[in-house]
Amino acid sequence: MSGDDLNPAAVALPVEDRQGDGRWMSQHTRFVQECKDGEPEVLFVGDSMVQLMEQYEIWKEMFSPLHALNFGLAGDTTCNVLWRLQNGELENIRPKVVVLWVGTNNHDHTAEQVAGGIVAIAQLLTNRLPKAKIVVLGLLPRGEQPNPLREKNAAVNRLLRSWLPRLGQALFLDVSNEFIHSDGTISSQDMFDYLHLTPTGYNILAKPLSDLLLQILEETPEERRPSLV
Amino acid sequence: MSAEASNPAATPTPCEDSQGDGRWMSQHVRFVSECKEREPDVVFVGDSLVQLMHQFGVWRQLFSPLHCLNFGIGGDATQHVLWRLSNGELDNISPKVVVLWVGTNNHGHTAEQIAGGIMEIVQLIHNKLPNAHTLVLGVLPRGRMPNPLRQRNAEVNKLVQDALSSLSHASFFNMDPGFVLSDGSISHQDMYDYLHLTAHGYQAVCEPLHAQIKSLLEKPAEN
Repeated sequence: MSGDDLNPAAVALPVEDRQGDGRWMSQHTRFVQECKDGEPEVLFVGDSMVQLMEQYEIWKEMFSPLHALNFGLAGDTTCNVLWRLQNGELENIRPKVVVLWVGTNNHDHTAEQVAGGIVAIAQLLTNRLPKAKIVVLGLLPRGEQPNPLREKNAAVNRLLRSWLPRLGQALFLDVSNEFIHSDGTISSQDMFDYLHLTPTGYNILAKPLSDLLLQILEETPEERRPSLV
Repeated sequence: MSAEASNPAATPTPCEDSQGDGRWMSQHVRFVSECKEREPDVVFVGDSLVQLMHQFGVWRQLFSPLHCLNFGIGGDATQHVLWRLSNGELDNISPKVVVLWVGTNNHGHTAEQIAGGIMEIVQLIHNKLPNAHTLVLGVLPRGRMPNPLRQRNAEVNKLVQDALSSLSHASFFNMDPGFVLSDGSISHQDMYDYLHLTAHGYQAVCEPLHAQIKSLLEKPAEN
C-alpha cells in the first residue's frame, strides 16, 4: 500500500468556491448541523452517487427506516470526503454502519492512488468509530461503451478487494457486473447519462445493500448510552 | 443584442470529452436517434434541471401523457445547447412546443452574453421549426443565501423577458414559486444542493409549467 503522505488522493482538501454561490460549504455546514441534531444508525458518505439516492423513492422505502443520514456531495473526490469527515461530519454521532461510496471523480489520480484514498477514509472512520462496520461500495462502470474510465474504476475495485480485508471492520460490496450488457454497453435506463443512476438503476444496488445493512444492524448489540436527564 | 460572433455564449460549441468516457456525445447521439424514432408534441431542451426532471414521478404523471421528449444534459451552457440543436436534435420532428431551460451553467459569461445565447437558441429553433412555439423558462435562483449568481440569473431573466416580448413565436415563463424565503435563504427541501430541485421542488414548478404547455398545445396552429 502506498504511503499516505505521498498519495495526493489521501490529502484532505475542501472544494474551492469557483462558481460564486458557496454551495459546497453550505452543504457541508448543513451536514455538520445534522450531526448535532440526529442520532443515525447508518451514515452514507460520498459523492453524487450517494447524494442522488436520497432524492428518489428508494431512500424513503429502504434507508430512512434504518435511521440513515446522507452526506453525499456531488463532485466530491476522496480528498474532499476526507476533509469533510475531519471537519465536523463525524462529530456527536455514533452510527453502527458507515456506507462509503467515492472515487469516480478522482480524475487527476491513478487507480492505485484512488484506492489508497478510499482506504485512508475507511481507516479514518475505523479510528473515529471503532465499533462501526464500514461498507465500501465498488465504483460502478461508466460511459455507454468500454472506455479507459471503466478500466480505471475496475482496477480500483480490484485493489480495494485485496486491501480492505486488512482493516477488519471493512466490507466491500460491488454490483458493477449488473450494469454491463453482453454487448459491453450500459443502458440509459440504468444510468441516464451513463454515470448517474436512474430509479431503476438504484434498485439494482439497493436490495443487496439493504440486505447487508439489515444483517449488520441485527448483529450489533445496542450500545448503552448515558441517559440525557 | 450583441453580435453573435463575439459572444461565446451564442457560438455553437460541443462539449469536450475531458473525462475520457465520451458521455456527452453518447447522450447527444441518443437524442438524435430519438428524433428519428419518435413524434413528440413537446421537446424539453437544456441542462441538468431539464435532465433530472425526467427521473422523477412528476414526468410520468404530467409530461409523458403530452408526448414529450427530454433532451437535457447536465452541465450544459447555452453554447452547448446551441450546438446540439444545430446538429440533429431538431431534425425529423415537428413538435408544437419547445421548452428551453438553460443559462445557469454559463460561468464566466455576463448576463448580457447569456441572454444573447438564449435568444440565439430561440432564433435557431424558429428557423428550423417555424410552426413551433418556444417557451423559455426563467433561470432559477441558486445558492443558500444571496450571492452574485442570483443577481446574474435575475438579470438574464429580465433581458430575455424584454427581448421575447416582441416575438409571437416565443414567450417567457417564470416558474419560480418563491423559492427565496423572507430571510433570503433557499431551503434544501426545495433544492437539495441549493441548485438542483428535490421531488418537492419539481412538483412546485411543474404544475404551473404543465398548465402553460397544455394551453399552448390547445391553441390552434400558427401559420
